[in-house]
Amino acid sequence: MSGAMSSVGLGELCISRDPTDVLIAFGLGSCLGIGMYDPVTRVGGLIHVVLPEQKAGNDPNTAKFVDTGIPLLLGKLVEAGAQQSRLIIRMAGGANMLVSPGLSGTFDIGTRNINMAHEVFKKLNLKLQKEEVGGQVGRTVRMYIADGRMTVRMMGSQERDLGAV
Amino acid sequence: MTPDERKVDENLLAKMRIVAARGFSNSAQGLSQMIGQDLSVHSPDVDMVPLADIPEILGGPDNDAVGVYLRVDGELIGQIMLVIPYQQALEFCDMVMDVPSGTTKEFGRMERSALAEIGNLTGSFFLNAIYEITGLSSHPSPPAVMVDMVGSILDVVIATMGAISDHIMMFKASFQIGDRKIQADFWIIPDPVTLEKLTVAEMKKE
Repeated sequence: MSGAMSSVGLGELCISRDPTDVLIAFGLGSCLGIGMYDPVTRVGGLIHVVLPEQKAGNDPNTAKFVDTGIPLLLGKLVEAGAQQSRLIIRMAGGANMLVSPGLSGTFDIGTRNINMAHEVFKKLNLKLQKEEVGGQVGRTVRMYIADGRMTVRMMGSQERDLGAV
Repeated sequence: MTPDERKVDENLLAKMRIVAARGFSNSAQGLSQMIGQDLSVHSPDVDMVPLADIPEILGGPDNDAVGVYLRVDGELIGQIMLVIPYQQALEFCDMVMDVPSGTTKEFGRMERSALAEIGNLTGSFFLNAIYEITGLSSHPSPPAVMVDMVGSILDVVIATMGAISDHIMMFKASFQIGDRKIQADFWIIPDPVTLEKLTVAEMKKE
């Protein structure tokens, strides 16, 4: 690990135990940024999922979908020394960016992403500690590996905490 | 669609470049008439682009911007997205609303409506050009205006296309207006079904 800002792009996930690292998912619209952090071993991960479920294909190692991405992130964190029962899980994003009449609704992927995430958390027995989701606004999410702090920033506003550890 | 789709048919790309050049030039003409200023089209092109790279194309997903989005329906199906960096969109509004430069400070109802009209007009002119060349007719939806971070604006396109493939065909160009150098990126993203139609469509010359 380089000890720097690591951008977590579309359909990517990033794990770190370097306290100087900051993981960032920029400009989440309907996408979700889901962070998990173990405060004891101080290992954390952030995933940038795009769509609710993998319909075509059967690739469990893809971070693009909510249904495959959450178990993937969990598995990688446990591999890196995290304990599932200690994980602090937070999530942001899932907006519906289209507000024009006749356009929104039919493909409100943000809401479908959020619903799928809740479903997967329940199935895997994971407790979501904090979320800031929905609405019509984009968000940038950061996770600070040093202390597990996660923040949200919206256009024209200051970065602020999304639930302290 | 298979992972090999990135090895896209070069003939199709060549054909689509003709469509794009004509379409963008038509859009530019329409826009130029609307705002009463000379407007030039820069680097019109058609390419297969990895979905994950799209936010980077516009200078990074964290930049503030304005996006005008339209769905296309009819014989052709696709999406149209006009993306303008935040500050330049303010200037663009000044031009369209014919007020001194620096007047527009935020995107209220009037400003959004002006931007929606720009999207509507550029999109319609583009689709008209395609109709003239290929005989395939289509119409744009009412425009949606988004003022937000580039990444979140583009999620609209990425989420729609991402379920289908990891690469999309993108018609892209940027407009420059007079000497004020306003950069407006204009994208057309046809659905795969539409690409097949365009592939077999007879091309009419001028």
